[in-house]
Amino acid sequence: MISVPRPSLGARLTSSETHGAAQELARLGVGLGLAAVYGLALGARTGAMSLVQHALAASAGLAAVAVLGIPALFVLLALVNAPVSPGAMLSAGARSLASAGFVLAGLAPSAALLAVTIESPDAAAFVTRAGLTLAGGIGLFQLASSVRAMLHDLTPEARLKCNALLLCFSLFAIMLAARVWYSLPILKGAA
Amino acid sequence: MNSQVLSVFDELLRSPRAIAERSRAGGDLRPLFVASLAALVLGAGVFGATLATSRGGLQLLYSGVKLPLAMVATMLLVVPAFHAIAAGLGRPLSFSGMIGLTLAAAGRGALVLVALSPLTWLCFDRGLTYHPGVLLAVACYGLAGVAALDLVLKGVGFDARGFAIVSLFAGVLFVTGGQTAWMLRPFLGRPSAATVPFFRHRESSFWDAVQQSSLSSFGVYQLTKVEAEGEAIRSSAPGPRLENADESR
Repeated sequence: MISVPRPSLGARLTSSETHGAAQELARLGVGLGLAAVYGLALGARTGAMSLVQHALAASAGLAAVAVLGIPALFVLLALVNAPVSPGAMLSAGARSLASAGFVLAGLAPSAALLAVTIESPDAAAFVTRAGLTLAGGIGLFQLASSVRAMLHDLTPEARLKCNALLLCFSLFAIMLAARVWYSLPILKGAA
Repeated sequence: MNSQVLSVFDELLRSPRAIAERSRAGGDLRPLFVASLAALVLGAGVFGATLATSRGGLQLLYSGVKLPLAMVATMLLVVPAFHAIAAGLGRPLSFSGMIGLTLAAAGRGALVLVALSPLTWLCFDRGLTYHPGVLLAVACYGLAGVAALDLVLKGVGFDARGFAIVSLFAGVLFVTGGQTAWMLRPFLGRPSAATVPFFRHRESSFWDAVQQSSLSSFGVYQLTKVEAEGEAIRSSAPGPRLENADESR
């Protein structure tokens, strides 16, 4: 009997395969949970309640994009007759947010070292922002790739409209995530 | 097993592509782990001790222990980030493959440091002073880093996406490695220092030091409140003043 090696967690979370709604929601949930690990690492700077505050805020940035952004993007793309379905959009959103969460979790060990050992609040805020930007950027890249893959059969004019919408959505998602993430105490200069 | 480990040493230097492919394929990576870790500990230890020849004494032992420690600690901290960045950008590798690739790259870099050790020792022996010595060490780390990242690039793919993954990983590695090494300093030690500490007391950060050094290179000098108080006391005392007399890296 030939045993097929099980794909790694990263491969499963970032896979472009579409699954059922329950599995996609589970993927989204795992992504948000992984983002909380990054928050915990940041919270180690001051400890105690700060751990919970940072964990919640780190996940909340991604959750806000999932709840407020992805449905809005689906409606707008449907308005220009893009061939998108709720299931495909859920899959694309889950994949992108799971990727962002996975990257945040990967950065957590480095973030914990830096948050605990860096004395300057400005420097600590800088490395925190860098981590969030990196993970958010990778998440957006995944979402844009997934959505663009759905637009192959469109006319150039329709594709242009969809790409413009995708660009506007990206700006909105960046502003929304930044708005939530700026509630992180470490970004407010907490020592 | 021993002959396999020795052949991996050779491959680390001559065939980075074969090492990268072996890490990607998975399978039994133990000889690769053992050889890479041995190269890392030996190479960084020799280079660390070489850096300390400017100070001598106990510093030789301390730096020979601390530099491998800094490199291994950095590897432990950055492997998850590398794994996540590669997966996030569409190049998922198994976690053990990622560890193998990162460890092999670090081992290769450490072997380059061994090769640069005689030249570094000769420079210190011929009277290279502290600050040029720091610059020489940075140049050596840079060369070793290029050799290491070359292997990593072969592992993730030699294309635009591979470059993006390696660049982002290099950014995380630079910040994390810099801070880890900063916490474990001094590595060179000041010849004028009366005692040799294993660790310096916690102060500032690698990031602050980079910022301060950048400003200093443009002739802008910043003093913290504590330093300013110390400066006021010292300026009222007699005797010669040396620039950055209290620093050691």
